[in-house]
Amino acid sequence: MRLVKIIYLLGLCFYQLASAATEEQFDEELTLRPLRDGKLAARFSLTTLLKGSTPRSPESLGLDDASQHYTLFPLALGQILREYAVTEMHLTLNAGKWNYEGWGYPEEAGVGTGGELWAWMGDSGTVTVDERWKGLRNALAGLFCASLGALDEQRTTSPALTFRPEGHLPNGTASHQLRHATLPSEHVCTENLTPFLKLLPCKSLSGIASLLNPHRLFDADWHGLGVHVRYRSGMGVEVRLAFQAVFDPVRYSTERRRDWSFHSVFGRVVRMACPVARSSLVRVRLPESSYALAPVPTNVVGDYAVYDVTNTSQPLDVELRWPEEHAFQYPLGSDLMPLTPLSIRRSLKGSSQYTAQLAIELKNNLPVEIQTSYLETMPWLLQFELHTLKLHSNAVPRDDLVEIVTYTPSVPHARPSLLQAVLTLPPKATLQLTMDVMKPFLRYTEHPPDAQRGWDLPPAVFLPFSFGEGNYSVAHTHDDRDTGAHRAGDREPQGLAPHAQAPVEARAQRMYTPVLLVDLATPDFSMPYNVIIMSCTLVALIFGSVLNLLTRKLVIVRVGDAKTQ
Amino acid sequence: MDAATPATQAPDPAILHTESKKTRRLIIASYWIVILLAIPLWWSTTSIERQSLPTANVLAQQERELVFPVRVHLDTSRYGGVENTILVQEVQRQLDSNRDLSEAQEMRVQILSEPSNGDTYQVSLSRGAREPAVQGRQLSLDVQTDDQSSPTVLAMQLADTIVTLLAPYTAARGSQTERVVKYAPRYRLAFTLLNEDSASGNAALTWDIRASLSKHIAPLLERLSVLHNFTVESQVQYHAPLAFDPQIVYSQDRTEYGLTQEDLTVFVNSAEWTLSSSVSNDPVLHFVLFIPSQQHSPLHILDERGHSIASTAFVLPQWGGIVILNRPSPIVSRHLAASVLDAAFVTFRYQLKALLGVPALPSHVHLADASFDGAGITDWQLDALLRRRAVENVVGTQETLQSIVRLVDQIEGMPVGLDVKSDVLGALNALEKVYAAASASSARAAQSAGAAFSLASRAFFNPGMLALLYFPPEHKYAVYAPLFASSAAPLLAAILREVLAWRRARKARNRGEHQADTTGRQKVE
Repeated sequence: MRLVKIIYLLGLCFYQLASAATEEQFDEELTLRPLRDGKLAARFSLTTLLKGSTPRSPESLGLDDASQHYTLFPLALGQILREYAVTEMHLTLNAGKWNYEGWGYPEEAGVGTGGELWAWMGDSGTVTVDERWKGLRNALAGLFCASLGALDEQRTTSPALTFRPEGHLPNGTASHQLRHATLPSEHVCTENLTPFLKLLPCKSLSGIASLLNPHRLFDADWHGLGVHVRYRSGMGVEVRLAFQAVFDPVRYSTERRRDWSFHSVFGRVVRMACPVARSSLVRVRLPESSYALAPVPTNVVGDYAVYDVTNTSQPLDVELRWPEEHAFQYPLGSDLMPLTPLSIRRSLKGSSQYTAQLAIELKNNLPVEIQTSYLETMPWLLQFELHTLKLHSNAVPRDDLVEIVTYTPSVPHARPSLLQAVLTLPPKATLQLTMDVMKPFLRYTEHPPDAQRGWDLPPAVFLPFSFGEGNYSVAHTHDDRDTGAHRAGDREPQGLAPHAQAPVEARAQRMYTPVLLVDLATPDFSMPYNVIIMSCTLVALIFGSVLNLLTRKLVIVRVGDAKTQ
Repeated sequence: MDAATPATQAPDPAILHTESKKTRRLIIASYWIVILLAIPLWWSTTSIERQSLPTANVLAQQERELVFPVRVHLDTSRYGGVENTILVQEVQRQLDSNRDLSEAQEMRVQILSEPSNGDTYQVSLSRGAREPAVQGRQLSLDVQTDDQSSPTVLAMQLADTIVTLLAPYTAARGSQTERVVKYAPRYRLAFTLLNEDSASGNAALTWDIRASLSKHIAPLLERLSVLHNFTVESQVQYHAPLAFDPQIVYSQDRTEYGLTQEDLTVFVNSAEWTLSSSVSNDPVLHFVLFIPSQQHSPLHILDERGHSIASTAFVLPQWGGIVILNRPSPIVSRHLAASVLDAAFVTFRYQLKALLGVPALPSHVHLADASFDGAGITDWQLDALLRRRAVENVVGTQETLQSIVRLVDQIEGMPVGLDVKSDVLGALNALEKVYAAASASSARAAQSAGAAFSLASRAFFNPGMLALLYFPPEHKYAVYAPLFASSAAPLLAAILREVLAWRRARKARNRGEHQADTTGRQKVE
């Protein structure tokens, strides 16, 4: 037995004894956060750590792999990771539009609508990264019943500035490469959740994961699942399954109250603990107004009430009520400060079928200058005209505020375009970015079923990285690698901040814009057959007349002679 | 005729100077020449690739049979009761007339009185009362000293033992052979510790799988590596509910639960248990250690009359094996140590051997004590398995190749690419190797047979051969018809008109020279 020191929760730490004999650890955590518009954000984070293991070296791909023996680690996922030598992988499937201004930063950064997959893989001479990327997306498509196989070369880019590895990349081996692709038209549903739950050691039968009730989750205003694999040097390979949802208790309540309980939101309660979980914690963010919380929490840490259900034998049904409130009053939008330093709006303007204008409006909500990276990964369905990129700050042209870092133009029918730029936002300024785009003409076979609906375009991603001159300290979301702390630890803005009371928190976390819909020229799909028949008839007609003219024997008939005879 | 006089000075306005019989015919001819020249080009661009397959060679394979020469050296030096050569002749005669051996038709057994080199089996006769024992390719057979039986009886006894060892499959038919999995060069062995409900109390949360595997399974895999490669994987599941409720059985003082024979067929709850993996196409053999929940313990298997039987393990044909582990209550440890797993893994090893088709030793023959190497497979058994897999794969290859040839022959629109052809040729080549290796080494023959079968299957399932099913020639003609039919009509009409005009002109020439001028001017059409 060895004492392993584990740092938990916020700046405060507490220690737990754990057996060093277990090579695999499973931790589950549920974070519940009432939002100011009466909604409830829930985040399940189910982490399995395979201690002491390293990602498969891509050089060994030609050889037989070692046997895989897992107890808690999901075998089906482990096989895919080893087969394609994936060092780090993030898959998210979301539905809905995350309201950054009203809900603040999400606990899980990946909230882009639809499917998103990105992976860091080591370079190798035996099997190229692109072949493995193809295998990976197809294997994941099979595992999660999602159409991830459509994330082909026409959607794959490598935006290494915005998507930094969240874990470590093993040193000493070859360099690593990023592959990223989005599928904004993908819909997440029960058929994705069922295989997701099968990857958990306790499925959804015991522990906190038993609250994952598909009927309620997919009824939520916003919902999304994520699979995150990373390598933590000195610790091992970590698989984190996450589910995030925003529920609307006011909608469920007959009296229009925002009170909620496990039973009212999930339709279930935690009946028994998952026997193999090292820790099972439920954290509830306490509201500012007067409230009643039942049952009594195990612990209160900062703003959060913590319930430890690791060894519970009693069913747990957490209930939060606002006893002084009769019916929930929706706050008026004009009075409210946005909760994120940036407010982003993106739209596609123009009614013609061959050009349009991409317009982005960025608002800096902080009294300091913000620098943010801006990423567009656009399928060739929309072709940028980079020279028309214009930037206005409060209606004054300010092209000096944008700095283009990389630009890869798209290749029709083959490759998407990739635009990475850095934008500087003056304090409290509103920036308007416009760029003309071209709508190409698609081949007949490239149109999807229901072509008239249009094409979903992936979200743009912003990553604010610099807030003023040190007035605002930045909480990094994925820098816990240095401390080895539990993931949830550094998530908390309150732990670090002198600005804890400020409504706007500055955080270097990816922000996704809503997806766009582009309407491309669609043909009449019965056309080809008409064209075949029509052109064949025309060709035959012309051919016949020319041939007749050439071969017809022409004579002069003397009309006068016939008359005299 | 008065008008004819000025016509001799000026050209006749009735005859157009552009109008010439020769030009017209040249134009028509050039059209047709272009069309005729274009036909080969059109043909070659629209026809499908059909490589010629070695049909005759494939059909000739049907006649060939794989026969392994088997040499057995009979050593009677320590017995001495009978003349060696007489006994050898007698055993040979018995073997030649043996029905099981002639039915198997895969080997030619030869009894030798002198030891020879190569893979020779050895049968040593000696006096004693020990049970027959095998070690490697050696069989020690004891004969009772007071047994003064004739050489014929001794030879019959000998021949019988040799036949059961050499051809163990003829005796075991039906269900025994059906549970053997189809040959594959690589299998995945998936070991799963399944807790019906780990929250209920008697669950095992971890197991010492690595130690058990290396102790019980690894030697067997090593022994079978001449024939198959294996990928081993394992996982633990904590919630694996059954799809049905086991029967309650009351025995003496306590309640037990039982699985009827029907329950066994639906035991695997594939909807809830995540057993299969999707990452490769290799066939998977599952080995499940099932721990029933507290409310279903102890769980036993029932016979037809509803009594529980001693064994708690069963084989699902071609799928894998299941062992039910009833844990003693109160639970001592939530970890299954290697010593606890020993019994289960001995069963798994037995099930794996059965699934892979390793023959059992005849009931009266024992393994020599010293020779247990962890695998428990003697050379007699391994050779029998190799011979059987070789014959199976040779027959399978022959049948697959014939199917390909027949199919290609029947469906004219089926493309046959170079890869299909090279696979077929490769399979034939590998078959030749099998026949060549059969006399020298059964292991090499079995390996070549496996390669031949893989190649033949790959050729048969080549996706390129399906192309025409999605775009049949009828579609092509439907697209062509509007163009070709309508442009062919004026072409045919032109040539017909010209032929008619030529025939009429010739007829007119025959009738009279002086009338030819007027006939020629006559308007056609």
